[in-house]
Amino acid sequence: MKKLLLTTAAILAASGALAQEITVGAANVSSYLDPGRDHSNVGSQFYYNAFDTLIERDHSKLEPVWEPALATAWEQVDGLTMEFKLREGVKFHNGEDMTADDVVFSLNRMYQATFAPYVVRSKDRLGNFVEAIKIDDHTVQIKVERPEPLWETLVSLQQVMIIPEEYTKALSGDPMVAEDSDFEAFSLAPVGTGPYAISEFVPGEKVVYSRFDDFWGDLAPLGEATVIRIPETASRITALKTGEADIVTNIAPDQLALIESDANLKTEGSATALFHVMIMNVNHPNLTDPKIRQAMSMSIDRDLLNEALWLGKAIVPSTHTMEEMGALHQPDLTTFEYNPEMARRLLEESSYNGEEIVFDAFPVYYTNGVLAAQAIMEMWAEVGINGKLNVTDKWTGNDPEMMARSWSNPMYFADPFGSFGVMWAPEGPSEGAGRFNTDAEYAAMWERFRFSADIEDRKAAYAELMERIKQDPPVLPLYRPFESWAMHKSVNWAPQPGHIPYVLDFRAGSIALAES
Amino acid sequence: MVAVTDTPQRSLVATLWAEANWVQRIAALLALALLLAAVLAPFIAPFDSLKQSLISRLRPPLGFERYKDGFLLGTDELGRDVLSRTLYGLRLTLGLALLGALIGLVIGGTLGLLAGLRRGWAEDTIMGAVDIQIAVPFTLIALLALSIFGSSLPIMISILGIAYWEQYARIVRGEVRKITEMPYIEAARASGAGPRYIALRHVLPNIVSPLVVQFTLSLSNIVILESTLSFLGLGVQPPTATLGSMVGYGRDYMPTAPWIVIAPAVAIILLTFSVQILGDWLRDRADVRLRDR
Amino acid sequence: MTLYILRTLLKMALTLFVIITLVFFATRLSGSPLETFLGDGLTEEDRQLMIEYFGLDGSIWQQYLSYLRGVLEGNFGLSFLERRPVAEIVAERIWPSLQLLLAALAATLCVALPLGILAALYRTSWIGSAIMALAFVGYAVPNFVIATFMVLIFAFMLNWLPVVGNGTWAHFIMPTIAMSGVLIAALTRFTRNAMLDVLGQDFMRTARAKGLPETVVILKHGLRNAGVTVLSILGLQIAGLAAAGNVVVEAIFSWPGIGELLVNAAITRDYPVLQFGVITVAAAVIVINALTDIAYAYADPRIRLGKG
Repeated sequence: MKKLLLTTAAILAASGALAQEITVGAANVSSYLDPGRDHSNVGSQFYYNAFDTLIERDHSKLEPVWEPALATAWEQVDGLTMEFKLREGVKFHNGEDMTADDVVFSLNRMYQATFAPYVVRSKDRLGNFVEAIKIDDHTVQIKVERPEPLWETLVSLQQVMIIPEEYTKALSGDPMVAEDSDFEAFSLAPVGTGPYAISEFVPGEKVVYSRFDDFWGDLAPLGEATVIRIPETASRITALKTGEADIVTNIAPDQLALIESDANLKTEGSATALFHVMIMNVNHPNLTDPKIRQAMSMSIDRDLLNEALWLGKAIVPSTHTMEEMGALHQPDLTTFEYNPEMARRLLEESSYNGEEIVFDAFPVYYTNGVLAAQAIMEMWAEVGINGKLNVTDKWTGNDPEMMARSWSNPMYFADPFGSFGVMWAPEGPSEGAGRFNTDAEYAAMWERFRFSADIEDRKAAYAELMERIKQDPPVLPLYRPFESWAMHKSVNWAPQPGHIPYVLDFRAGSIALAES
Repeated sequence: MVAVTDTPQRSLVATLWAEANWVQRIAALLALALLLAAVLAPFIAPFDSLKQSLISRLRPPLGFERYKDGFLLGTDELGRDVLSRTLYGLRLTLGLALLGALIGLVIGGTLGLLAGLRRGWAEDTIMGAVDIQIAVPFTLIALLALSIFGSSLPIMISILGIAYWEQYARIVRGEVRKITEMPYIEAARASGAGPRYIALRHVLPNIVSPLVVQFTLSLSNIVILESTLSFLGLGVQPPTATLGSMVGYGRDYMPTAPWIVIAPAVAIILLTFSVQILGDWLRDRADVRLRDR
Repeated sequence: MTLYILRTLLKMALTLFVIITLVFFATRLSGSPLETFLGDGLTEEDRQLMIEYFGLDGSIWQQYLSYLRGVLEGNFGLSFLERRPVAEIVAERIWPSLQLLLAALAATLCVALPLGILAALYRTSWIGSAIMALAFVGYAVPNFVIATFMVLIFAFMLNWLPVVGNGTWAHFIMPTIAMSGVLIAALTRFTRNAMLDVLGQDFMRTARAKGLPETVVILKHGLRNAGVTVLSILGLQIAGLAAAGNVVVEAIFSWPGIGELLVNAAITRDYPVLQFGVITVAAAVIVINALTDIAYAYADPRIRLGKG
């Protein structure tokens, strides 16, 4: 009898746990799910629940604290090699065991990429990584080209999450060969080792996570989590009110008061590790004079934008830096400032003669984007810049006619290299697009910043780079936008400080539902 | 209908007024008021419609808490005066809609007439173009056109102009076919009247009424199309505003600051409402005259 | 008759071909998909790689020819974004849009036809004026204004109706009203006007003179003749709706329909999806139109098929 009761209790407890389900209303849902080729803001929401990396970061902390994940231990073998001991008994969602072969396959699909989207994605951040090799069934080595100061950071990237080799190769064509079509098929039926399996995926519409009972770590707190797309802001908030969603994403600051005024609802938010930026084309014939671009930058009262559009909750940086970057966070640098008098003076000294300066902006993509752009036009007018707003859904960043436009610069990983570095490296995307120039001196500073083993030297080199940016500015970070999520009070969830932007983290310890 | 309310021939205005019922009178007055408001916007708007004030955003209209003195209908998401913006928006919307509807009328009417009178390849080509226009979602045509040509006022007017030409064309062609099969046209043709004579003398007077109805319909369709494009963020370039773009950009504020949306939405509704009642009235009059003859 | 059908089919094929061609070139003129898919700037080398990956290398004519070849073989390509067959993607989206369209159409017919007839019969009394005033209001309110206000009142404030997706019948109420408001207004007007036209015709007087009861006169002669105009208008409206798939209503109610898919494809320059979506919608509209034409001819004895 006693035994029976216990069993019943166990069943009750289990079913109680099963009832732990939530629905998330997201402004956007990915059209494909492959952590390797994706680095979009939309995509980064989805991977962390279902995939693991070799090394994990304690995401509850702002500063990097590394923890074992699929690798239980790692140590440097020589200056160019790191050896990883793999965790035993790890299973993929499809039931297969994770082996050294899977790890080598996953890493080399990026390190030695042949599939075009992987090639493009790995080059900007994984260029220093040569290959992964299997030592034995539970040991893997990764080799780099030059001594790597950012080992742990770059092994814990979303792009090098581990996927199953056999499963992927068998998705199309020859089951023994990794073809492009295998990777394409994978992104519609993704399989990982994380605490949730992706049990349903309707591209652009819906992602359903189900608890994976064979997960190697702490079991997922939710039985099921469904993310559905609700593109309209007003509809998202309404869905929260009607109970159709338990959490909704992308709430603009202007809506916060409305939600807070409802006794059943609350909001959680943080200044996202991402800058909304204004980029300027240093090679546009009308803008070659750096003084004009300095004036364009100095005339913008970013604190006022923050006060007005973000209720003062955004963070306005004095230089291209973020708190998350630990030792390399350098808030004492002043690269960007508001100084309208100086802007006027610079304009007078410059070759500027009232030519129209066109500012391109996406229509709906960035929260408050078009509003900020309109306000910037007014601020420019104040100092005598003849600005004109051009709202277009076209990406003009590689158009030689482009003069200035809005954009965002996310922190892809917690290092200046993962934010400023990805965009403004020599030969990088900005220079490749023809709107930014570097020279030997810049490249030398870059080398020290990227590869120096001495952190003080890296800091100094970065400060020198910032000085270059100040003197001949191609970019102005406006602010770190304050990103908010709204939810029912029974949901205990908040964005974790150690994540890259927008991650929906539903792992153990990150979310809890109050008994109602 | 604008021409009618504005016409200097007092006797005609007086006659029309005497004939009208109360709904039509109200509509006429409303249309006149809106027209005046649109024309006089620069003189009657209390503020510069583009002047921002970031520190007084989203202030409610007169009579509510946090009302900002002078800003009768409140301020919008950049602290601009909603009343002034609505007046200027009305001005631009009315201009765009009239121009667009007129372009549609001229293109569609001409082609429809041609298709109806000339059988053969001319008709086939024109009706083929009509079929294409109907078959491809116009929002997509507009999106592609805006991406290819960029967004400017002339492009916008052209897009709105070609948006509904095929409706005129189809209606005109249908009516022309119906009319040309009437016995008296056959008789006229038999007595040696050329197609141009038939078109001007017999066909044109008969298609005025469906055209007027179509014109009024397309006026409001154009207003709605323009606001749909604004809804997608691709209407008239901000900071310039039309009624539609004010609704389109303001819709996120519906739950929090509905006045941003309500003022232009009401203006749209009043505008289309009065225009259509007047159009319908004219149609009825035209019909009566047709029947009397 | 066979000749007529053959001619119609040929015309449909030709129309589709022209549409395919126009859309193909218009999409390519409108911008490149590369940056939309990769977010950031790309180096020149990367661009080349991605151009090849998307199959956008080679001259535009080569691409056009190979696309046409694919179309003839029934292969419309893979979505740039999702990398799965576009036919699959479009098929997923068509049905929800069609459901909404049918619901809106049913609502429209049930409401607009009786109202239109009543308005014509009681043209001079307050009933007629009231109906028409209502119709004008319906026409004057843009559908997304109705939609937004309904969401605010019935979902946000009162919590009566759901706003997300197409799960249950309750999900249909607000989108259907939003979609059909304008349709009802338009159709009521057209029904009334067509009825008025018909009521004044000689054959109606003849029918009445023959001593037929008024109801019979109206329903048999009046409706049948007014039906011609009403049908052609209805055909236009359905076509317009089917084609537009109403982006705005779909967005507000997170309806997984074709309108939103196509607009997103246009914005992200997902050429294969956009092209196939337009072809599908166009084919549907062309078929509906052909059917309307036939019905038009059938309903109006004066227009004989042979005379076209």
